[in-house]
Amino acid sequence: MNHAIEVNSLTKVYGPPDSGVLAVDHINFEVRQGEVFGFLGPNGAGKTTTQRMLTTLLEPTEGRIVIYGHDLARDAYPVKRQMGLVPEESNVYTELTAWDNLMFTAQLYRVPRAERAERARQLLETFGLWEKRNVKAEDFSKGMRRRLSIAMAIIHRPTLLFLDEPTPGLDVQSARAIRDLIRQLNAEGTTIFLTTHQIEEANQLCDRVAIINHGRIAAIDTPERLKAAFRRVQSVEVALEPDGQTHGEPLAALPGVMTTVKMGDKWRLYTEDPSALLPQVMDYARVNSLKVISLSTLGPSLEDVFLELTGQQVGTVRHGMQEEKPRRRGMKGQMGGGR
Amino acid sequence: MRGGWLQRLQDELAQAWVVIVKDMKVHYLQPGMIMFGFLMPFFMFFSFSVRREMGAVQGVARLLALTTFFTASAAGPFIIPLERRVGTYDRLLAAPMSLLTLLLGKTAVGALFAIGVSAFSLIVGVVAFGATLAQPWLLVAGVILGSFSFSALGLIFGSIPTRNPGDVQMPSTLLRWGLLFISGVFIPLAEMAPAARTVAYLSPLTYAQDLMNHAVLGMGLLSPWLDLLVLLASGILFMVPPIWMHRRGRRLGY
Repeated sequence: MNHAIEVNSLTKVYGPPDSGVLAVDHINFEVRQGEVFGFLGPNGAGKTTTQRMLTTLLEPTEGRIVIYGHDLARDAYPVKRQMGLVPEESNVYTELTAWDNLMFTAQLYRVPRAERAERARQLLETFGLWEKRNVKAEDFSKGMRRRLSIAMAIIHRPTLLFLDEPTPGLDVQSARAIRDLIRQLNAEGTTIFLTTHQIEEANQLCDRVAIINHGRIAAIDTPERLKAAFRRVQSVEVALEPDGQTHGEPLAALPGVMTTVKMGDKWRLYTEDPSALLPQVMDYARVNSLKVISLSTLGPSLEDVFLELTGQQVGTVRHGMQEEKPRRRGMKGQMGGGR
Repeated sequence: MRGGWLQRLQDELAQAWVVIVKDMKVHYLQPGMIMFGFLMPFFMFFSFSVRREMGAVQGVARLLALTTFFTASAAGPFIIPLERRVGTYDRLLAAPMSLLTLLLGKTAVGALFAIGVSAFSLIVGVVAFGATLAQPWLLVAGVILGSFSFSALGLIFGSIPTRNPGDVQMPSTLLRWGLLFISGVFIPLAEMAPAARTVAYLSPLTYAQDLMNHAVLGMGLLSPWLDLLVLLASGILFMVPPIWMHRRGRRLGY
């Protein structure tokens, strides 16, 4: 068996089927065993609804979900035993200590009595919570609760782990620790289904990503292949001194520039031909007696791809409007199984 | 195959117990809940008994029925919506156990709490009011079955597909207080008008009160066997709406 998850024509309508809100619209995809699969989309795109259907928390209106060969509608029990779930909110029991939270989950998943304490100790040490094991979770920081929530989701050693937005709101160290843990779990063979709107996180972690928008899969592929399909959203990034908003209009007017975006002390100029644009930027700096602090060309980021596919324009400031590009042009060969 | 089923049954029972212990720690053994559980029946008892012609022993039978009813059905309506709101209910729903196991665990924890508080009320009744028990086994059976029945009744409201405990407060309070007044707790069944008595027969609390009268006073209006049967049947029957509402909630997304 190659696929951990197979989803066919999965649909969810909130409310009456004929007049309700269509949240997920006949999506199809597969998640291979042992991969980190990213599920990306803007808010309200249908990510969490899909994940809740995959974890049996929500009943699909139509469609079929097969996990490890078991049809979820008819035979969910063996799947639930192999599944771990980390929801968006850290759903720990704040009235219980970290230790009691882990013991409760271990007992709920019928982890053998002889192994519970050892697994809990290992996890608490791994997550840096061993010293706080007897402290109630109500006294934990957001990051500590997140780590405890993940520890609770993996104490029964699931082979399939669902993570919904695991790092937003965390400090850099906690977020990095969680990403490292995801890599480690995956290296040990756990299939990861990662729901996120953090593009860079998906770029760093995922073997493949699906981009969902308005309840439909817009694309499924590896991050690099998706980027390769969007070569036209390459860019030149330049930092000038003195810096200022006044550069926006003239930079946007340079030949070949489609969009300009101010990014901190830098300007990013989106273009289809960075090599042709570079000398133009240098000329602009020279003519205006500006010092070029840095100048680089960038390929399309996964964020650019995401923005293109979800119908949002790349960047937030657009000067010198070019002819509007058709969306997803030339992408047919790169599209995944979604509709 | 048989071994598989036995193992599954063993797992489900163990998981129900895990839910009981967790709920007891998280929700019931909290200062507010303990204060409510122990004091509320006494407040109500004194509110409706002071300055009325009623023997102490008769009062103890009433106190026991009140305690069982109020403590068993007190927390059930609010725990599940609260857990839904903070996301911990998803953890239970996603776990490898049946919905029935989860709901049995939720019912049992409310019942166990009520049994504990009822035992306390009995001690108060014996020590403070000098009550004696005419049929102790009926008291034990009545408190156990009544607690399960009333806890399951509370679970019906807890299963309403909502994340807001406030949504279930009004209907659950209305029903519980309504049952209190139609069930022969404050007006003995024998003194009720025929129409009122007919309504009283629809309430499981009527049978719990009658059973307490048998147990403490040695007399009741109905057969104690009928009382026990109705409490058992209502406890089973009250599990049906929560299952149906949970399935509906799974379709709606709660």
